[in-house]
Amino acid sequence: MPIALQAQQRIISGIVKDTAGNTLGGASITEKGMVNNAASTGDNGKFKITLKGASNTLIITYLNFKKQEINVQENLKNHEQIEVVLENTTSSLDEVIVVGYGKKKRITNTGSVSTISASEISAVPTSNIQNALSGEMPGFFAQQRSGQPGKDASDYFIRGVSSLNSGGNQPLIIVDDIEYTYDQLAQINVNEIESISILKDASTTAIYGIKGANGVLVVTTRRGVAGKPKFNIRGEAGAQSPVRTPKFLDSYNSAVLVNEANVNDGLTQTFSQNDLNLFKSGTDPYGHPNINWYDAIMKKSSVQANTNLDISGGSQSVKYFISGGAFTQNGGVKNFSDGNDGVNTNYFYKRYNVRSNLDIQVSSTLSLRLDMTARFGDINQPYNQNVISNIYDFTKYHPYSAPFLNPNGSYAYAIDTKSQMPTINAMLATGGYSRQRRSDYNVLVGFNKKLDAITKGLSLIGRVAYAGVVQNTLNLARPYAFPPSYYYNPADGSYHLNTGVSSGGYTLIGYRTIGNTDLDNQRVNAQLYLNYDRTFGVHHFSSLLLWNQESYRDDQAAAVPQKFRGYSFRFGYDYRQKYLIDFNAAYNGSDRFQASSRNGFFPAIGLGWNLAQESIFKKALTAFRIFKLRTSYGIVGSDVAPGNQYLYNQVYNQGAGYSFGQTDQTQGTISEGALSNNNVTWEKAKKFDVGLDMNLANDKISLTVDYFHDERYDQLVTRQDIPEILGIGVAPENVAKTINRGWDGQITYKDNIGKVQYSIGLVWSVAKNKIIYTAEAQPRYPWLAVTGRPINQPFGYKNIGFYSQSDLTNPNVAKPITAIPIQAGDLKYKDLNGDGVIDQNDMGPIGKPNLPNTTIGVPLRLGYKGWSMNVLFQGAYGYSLGLIGTAIEPFQSQFQPIHQKRWTPATAASAEFPRLTSNPTTINSPAAYMSDFWLIDAHYLRLKTLEVSYQLSRKSLPLKINSGRIYFSAYNLVTWSNVTKKYQQDPEVTSNSAGDSYLNQRVVNLGLQVGF
Amino acid sequence: MNNIKYNIFLYILIGITASMLSSCKKSYETVPLGQQINLSLAFDPKDSLGTEALEFLLNVYNVATPYGYNRLSGNFLDAASDDAISSASGIPDIQKLATGAFSAASPNVDNVWSSYYTAIRSATVFIVYINRVPLAEKLPNGNPARPAYRSEARFLRALMYFELLKRYGGVPLLGDTIRQITDNVQLPRNSFADCVNYIVNECNNITDSLRTQSQVTPSNYGRVTQGAAMALKARVLLYAASPLFNGGNIDPTNPLTGYTSYDINRWKLAADAASSLMSLGTYSLMPKYSDAFITQATPIGSNTEMIFWRQGGSNISVEQNNGPIGYTSAGGNGITSPTQNLVDAFPTDSGKAITDAGSQYDPNNPYNHRDPRLKMTVMYNGFLWLNRPVQTFDGGLDKPGGVIQQTKTSYYLRKFMGSFESVSGSAIYSNTYHDWISFRYAEVMLNFAEATNEFSGPTQDVYNVLYALRNRAGIFSGTANNYGLKQGMSQSEMRVVLQNERRVELAFEEQRFFDIRRWKIASQAYNIPLTGMDIQQATNGQIFYNIIPVLTPVFRDPQMYLYPIPYTEVIMNPNMKQNPSW
Repeated sequence: MPIALQAQQRIISGIVKDTAGNTLGGASITEKGMVNNAASTGDNGKFKITLKGASNTLIITYLNFKKQEINVQENLKNHEQIEVVLENTTSSLDEVIVVGYGKKKRITNTGSVSTISASEISAVPTSNIQNALSGEMPGFFAQQRSGQPGKDASDYFIRGVSSLNSGGNQPLIIVDDIEYTYDQLAQINVNEIESISILKDASTTAIYGIKGANGVLVVTTRRGVAGKPKFNIRGEAGAQSPVRTPKFLDSYNSAVLVNEANVNDGLTQTFSQNDLNLFKSGTDPYGHPNINWYDAIMKKSSVQANTNLDISGGSQSVKYFISGGAFTQNGGVKNFSDGNDGVNTNYFYKRYNVRSNLDIQVSSTLSLRLDMTARFGDINQPYNQNVISNIYDFTKYHPYSAPFLNPNGSYAYAIDTKSQMPTINAMLATGGYSRQRRSDYNVLVGFNKKLDAITKGLSLIGRVAYAGVVQNTLNLARPYAFPPSYYYNPADGSYHLNTGVSSGGYTLIGYRTIGNTDLDNQRVNAQLYLNYDRTFGVHHFSSLLLWNQESYRDDQAAAVPQKFRGYSFRFGYDYRQKYLIDFNAAYNGSDRFQASSRNGFFPAIGLGWNLAQESIFKKALTAFRIFKLRTSYGIVGSDVAPGNQYLYNQVYNQGAGYSFGQTDQTQGTISEGALSNNNVTWEKAKKFDVGLDMNLANDKISLTVDYFHDERYDQLVTRQDIPEILGIGVAPENVAKTINRGWDGQITYKDNIGKVQYSIGLVWSVAKNKIIYTAEAQPRYPWLAVTGRPINQPFGYKNIGFYSQSDLTNPNVAKPITAIPIQAGDLKYKDLNGDGVIDQNDMGPIGKPNLPNTTIGVPLRLGYKGWSMNVLFQGAYGYSLGLIGTAIEPFQSQFQPIHQKRWTPATAASAEFPRLTSNPTTINSPAAYMSDFWLIDAHYLRLKTLEVSYQLSRKSLPLKINSGRIYFSAYNLVTWSNVTKKYQQDPEVTSNSAGDSYLNQRVVNLGLQVGF
Repeated sequence: MNNIKYNIFLYILIGITASMLSSCKKSYETVPLGQQINLSLAFDPKDSLGTEALEFLLNVYNVATPYGYNRLSGNFLDAASDDAISSASGIPDIQKLATGAFSAASPNVDNVWSSYYTAIRSATVFIVYINRVPLAEKLPNGNPARPAYRSEARFLRALMYFELLKRYGGVPLLGDTIRQITDNVQLPRNSFADCVNYIVNECNNITDSLRTQSQVTPSNYGRVTQGAAMALKARVLLYAASPLFNGGNIDPTNPLTGYTSYDINRWKLAADAASSLMSLGTYSLMPKYSDAFITQATPIGSNTEMIFWRQGGSNISVEQNNGPIGYTSAGGNGITSPTQNLVDAFPTDSGKAITDAGSQYDPNNPYNHRDPRLKMTVMYNGFLWLNRPVQTFDGGLDKPGGVIQQTKTSYYLRKFMGSFESVSGSAIYSNTYHDWISFRYAEVMLNFAEATNEFSGPTQDVYNVLYALRNRAGIFSGTANNYGLKQGMSQSEMRVVLQNERRVELAFEEQRFFDIRRWKIASQAYNIPLTGMDIQQATNGQIFYNIIPVLTPVFRDPQMYLYPIPYTEVIMNPNMKQNPSW
């Protein structure tokens, strides 16, 4: 019988399902012992394969599912066709996580890693991955600072910040084992991504040595799976609208407040009662205009669209994944062009991505890979104007400055302002655009040679990767020219040309093109490593030995190339998957440091204990599938150095400036540059992490918790305690130290009620840092010190209400020595040192840094038959948001409802805002007297993402379409925040930039996905 | 067969990867590109021309040489004395200096600590490293030029120490050590006496190696000369002998703030130092007062009065910054408003104070019969300028009212400007030399006279100085040939006369501000309101003068006699003692 079977080529058909009974498309079927005989399931889960070998066994593999071997005959005893039920491995023993240079099983991992599969976030309607991760991964902190198309990628940090160097906190980004920059990551199409991991502790980041101190974000892209070509097309379109739109007072209400401020300042009132009446009645739209510039300029919503196509498949010898994508995001500015010049001054972002990932199995032991990807993006914005800032800026436009257009169609201008600029619509209609055009190219060539011939489990892997970026800005604009604008006098119907500083004359000059190269850089990375992974009975060894070199060249700045070289080593051992030990180390260097002290050694150790594998434990606590304690400790580095690349060299500067000799011309001079620091070296972080991984109740509950304590030392900062009598600046020194500690984790419960599958999770991240030492001089009062406080702690006065009339004459009430005498209704501050004077000595720490110290996410997933729903609530706590200037200050910002709650003698008890004044130098000015009045102790909770989709049944689909799905998705759908109670500002904007930055957007989106 | 092919292929792959890895090794930078100038190039031991080294010296000049025109956010330092106020709107920084609105933590606008210590270091770097450079250049007398260049830097360093000394009292003396990042710089202040001795010694030691004025060639025009070193020494000794530091120390036992006891011989040293410079015969008063500021010195020009200066080039900036605002085609911002207090200090053209009975002063025609230096120092209503009379009556072209910056006292600055009283062609300014003169001969004479009066009383030498200055100013000698000066004055009468003469002669030269401090009369000088003139012109052309207060200065005695050491400097350096009361 076996002999007969061997000769026979049998066609076997079957179906693959998951434990819930859903069919699985794309599962890979291989005949055991015949690696080249493979098939894959269609989207209906069905497959056919012709058996050629003798094993009579099929191997079924599918990502995130447990591999199964099926004996054909055994299976067919019970079924008409082969039926395979695959067990989902998510949160189970075979779950795999991506770490540096490879993958690890979750069960034997000793480090702190969070992983998410891209399919879980691919429906988030945003252009970049950063915006989709917030609240999904423990330890990931992100703040979206702007909503501008193409520039809306969130700032993000892993486990908060711990370096005092600006730029010294950015995580290392590794895409397919090659380093990327922040902007390059933002360019990647989410559809190309397979999975994302963040590496948080020393055990996982030590392998990156001198670059690992800020954590590592590891992205892997999708690769082909053997089988018939699978086409997948996704198209979606949606509408964006601001999360919060500003509310401005109309002309009448603004004018009333202006008059009141005039009285407060001892000036004559700007508006007569007749003016006010006309503003109120609106009967004189040209003499007394009433324009809400936000409504006049901005659209209610704008369009966003995303289309993706990918094809994957191949044989066992060649596998491919090819994808293309087009993303368009339009801006919120109305179109004011006269239609003739075709110049688009609106904001927009267009991006095209292509990727081809090929795997070639040359022989049974040698495989090659060739990955090529290119990304082309255009970011458009109005030339030389920030529209949002102009709309907010009261010094440029008042609601009563000018009509939208004059009666004869000519442009008006803000005649009552100092700059007398033509109206925003005039500027947008004629000002031209500034367009950034960026091209990114990446090529990766690699091989993987199995060296089982030498010893089993050994392989050699080599890669050479190239990344190039070119970015040019093309401006089509009329530099230094304004459009012609006129003041129309409704009294006599006359027109007067604007002859002020922003005069455009009578005619518009022609457009000119101005171009420049912003970026032109290339990075070449080469890696060669030996991998060893072998199990001897109960002993499992894994090891890695890596040689890595990188060269970065910036051709735009014609700067010195930056070089990096390193060796990394990893050794792992486990006994019965019970006792785990990992040793990771890197020895690497950077040319930022003196040749003699260029290389550093960064070791880390990780230990783990799978209690659930202990026999005693197994009996006692049967509910636990996984119960693992793990801890790690190690040292990693950061080679980010502020300023001059070569701090160990004192460079003399050339200049000019002294007139000398008979000809009386300015002569050249040479002067000393900052003193060098011969001992400059990298920053280091001692990272300690202890964690618990737990799965119980049949994997229904899974839990991961980590506590970490990082000590960042040898930080490069410029000493603040070197007296100026030294007479020269100094290079930063490796002196500062901070600690950063906190805990993060994730708990997920999943189950089903009948046919309804659901899961609910909680993701949390807490990170609090403190400056231990920063070479700060001991200040006169302890509250003036930054040492002992969080990084970027704001300092200012402590607001204690408003000065009352009686305070002014009361000598016991502390007052500032200020040029402008204080008045009742001015902000009153606490006299911290009790000397009766409000001055710099009273500026203590106020509020918190702008980066949240706590962020949470609540992911919910529901599935019922073809329906599924994904919801993510995301919240951030423990930060301060500063709102000043064009965002809120009277006479710098448009008048807003909060200004109507200003202090007046009548409303002194209930006032929420100081008395109005047009003088920008009073004690009420945050520029001169920053205080916590201008800070909001902010927090927010968002319905960050929502996706509802319906999988169409196979029968209802026409042609050869295998699968079809329609979905609705949304981003930033609902926001609850204490910020928005008082001000119409998004809670994620950067402190002190509200009123200037492009409004963060909410997106609602409809999409269709088909596969065939 | 296939295996061999694969293996060859694999070896090539490994080779390519490995060669990528190793090829980078060579291009590791040992000397960074693009950063060419380092110590060994700036002071090149192979360059007998010393090109870079001399450019380094020019940088020392650049950071160390004061340039006083409108240097303090647009204003003269004198706008913080009782001689002038700023015309700027709001509360300009210079006014805060006059009203005491500053502290150690928020320093006043004349906050020179950091920049002068930068200059001191630059000078020291040159002084130490110039010896590495085999400079071949010779002075006209055949001596090598290198000691002269080195001495120039030592002069500039000494000048910086003096500038610090007069503001802060004793300051840390850093010597010739070039400190690096790892060196301890938490140094204590040296005593006032140490600083004076150091500066004087430096001046003594460098004088011989410096160029004489006659050795200055046109290409070296503007360098430090022997005369400069002697003038600095004379001024330092005068300050050291002055009441604030000699006998009137605000913290009597504190050696940082002055001498702890009085010694009359300090006046003698000051007089001798001035005298030895005067006896050189190199310098003399210019025949015309106003020419002293706008002509160049030998060998380029004919100015015999300049001793050390910073070249300002030939331009119209002083005129436009300070000129009356009503000359629209010429341009004028009128930033400086001289006070009535200063105007009243000018005697009449017979040399008598305006308060003297026989002085011919007429309050209804206040600018008539005045010391001719008045019209070379300030412009007043009716003053001919650019072919038309200045109008500083209320509503006049140069005092129109409203928000535009204009004189607050009805006076504009005239000193340092070209002779634009009447010009041919259109009424605009033309380029004028605006070298800032740090030392000029008239000051040395006044130093000599003051020190002599204090040591020996009002001798004939003292009178002679006044006669010479008043003669040059154009004051009538009078029938008694005494230029209106009372004969046989007591020492203290003469002191008052000399102080007033100094105020008039050296107005706006950054002298008065420090003079009232070193004389220890600042609390009196600042205790009276600063005034201006309110001028009304009736329709019939008749003019009415009214003196009005324009600013009430504040002087906290004794705190404000010295500047506070910057707050950060005190907290960064436990050895740095703060000045009293700050």
